[in-house]
Amino acid sequence: MISPVKIWRNQSSITSYRGRHGVVESWTMIRVPLGTYAHLAPYPVVLVKFEDGTRKSLQLVDWKKEDLKIGTRIQVVIRRITESNDEGVIPYGLKAKPCDGK
Amino acid sequence: MKSFVIGAKTTKFGELWSTSPRTLAKQAVQGALKDAGLKKSGVHAIYVGNMLSGMLGGQEHLGAFFADELNIAGAATKIEGACASGGLAVHQGVVAVESGLYDTVVVLGVEKMTDHKPEAVALALMGAGSDQERLSGATFPGLYAMLARAYMETYGATEEDFAAVSVKNHFHASMNPLAQFRREITVQDVLRSAKIADPLKLLDCSPISDGASAVVITSKASPAGVRIAASVVATDTLALCDRGSLTSLQATKDASSRAYEQAGCGPSDVDVCEVHDCFSIAEVLAMEDLGFYKKGTAAKAIARQETRLGGSGVLVNSSGGLKACGHPVGATGVKQVVEVVDQLLGRAGSRQQTNAHIGLTHNVGGSGATAVVHVFERYQKGES
Repeated sequence: MISPVKIWRNQSSITSYRGRHGVVESWTMIRVPLGTYAHLAPYPVVLVKFEDGTRKSLQLVDWKKEDLKIGTRIQVVIRRITESNDEGVIPYGLKAKPCDGK
Repeated sequence: MKSFVIGAKTTKFGELWSTSPRTLAKQAVQGALKDAGLKKSGVHAIYVGNMLSGMLGGQEHLGAFFADELNIAGAATKIEGACASGGLAVHQGVVAVESGLYDTVVVLGVEKMTDHKPEAVALALMGAGSDQERLSGATFPGLYAMLARAYMETYGATEEDFAAVSVKNHFHASMNPLAQFRREITVQDVLRSAKIADPLKLLDCSPISDGASAVVITSKASPAGVRIAASVVATDTLALCDRGSLTSLQATKDASSRAYEQAGCGPSDVDVCEVHDCFSIAEVLAMEDLGFYKKGTAAKAIARQETRLGGSGVLVNSSGGLKACGHPVGATGVKQVVEVVDQLLGRAGSRQQTNAHIGLTHNVGGSGATAVVHVFERYQKGES
């Protein structure tokens, strides 16, 4: 369970990445998931490189088989991370969505 | 450097439901003390390497816990560095003896993982990574899978090449009575095994295991002991995404280059080594980052069996490595030292490397955030 205080504290770092474009530098398909993500498996995780040279590890969403390769262009989106916790707070976070690139 | 390993003992590794962590620790430490010909009263400090006792078992304060259980008086501390916990504990033991504040210390690596559901263990192991990595849904195999994919893309290595790592380590483990998996496997077995995180499959991955290992380190040389020629720790960024390279672990390169300097030797002098094969790709990267093979060439060299017992190169993971001997997280780094010490003392049975003079151990935490490298030398006559 992610602490609601932590979710609140990290909100600004989430919004600053929303909409940024990047390129897939490596990827994998998670078939044996962590408990919190069991309902999503199998799902792809990608290492994305952004224009400023930084990278992030992100779950790939709204993907097609052709997107699972090095070089796919993505855009960062905000999505729900897991179901809401006991305190009713829904954790949102960053994920990556293939885009036709700009 | 003036520290020596004079006692070494590893327990059976595996799914040991009827054996408690206390019993594992007793077997390892009492065995190491007996090997050293030492009484408990001769021990001035104990360093415990462990990662998951708190998260999985609710038990912290392991220094006191095991000092109590083992009835050892003296300084007692737990050291944690994810999968490098054992190697870091060995390093602490060396630092203690080199400082002159402690004359003789025990290093214990111990882990109990199989009491818990694999999902709970997988989640706890991701404590080795960053928050963002956990939020992205990455698992430990997932992180190394992305390293494997990048390596395949850059150097043209194949899944068959990676499979050769597991095949070799199972072959070595078939000669190690303490190993978790003693059954030999083939490349086809690896390729047919269930996918965990593409391209890594079940038989590319080290298992969940229980076990303990202990060494006794002291400042006085002995013909029955082994000299510690180097003990180096290096760190890199916590998260894989912040690294400089996706085809190399810089922490391994930094730790090993300083270790070779400390020991006054190079990769070509090493006869036997235990490296961190948490996944098959990890051994490939280790071969290159430790300087045994040029970048991009290790996968094919391993597939040609150069690092297998009887091969043309350095003997790698005669214990069976993490893959086949097992990987009780905190114990591994210490077990690696025990295996190399046994090799240098000529006690490795059918796994024995001929003329083993210099050995190396390589223990990694997380996806490469911590690397610990030790170099050991056989006792030279005239050493005091």
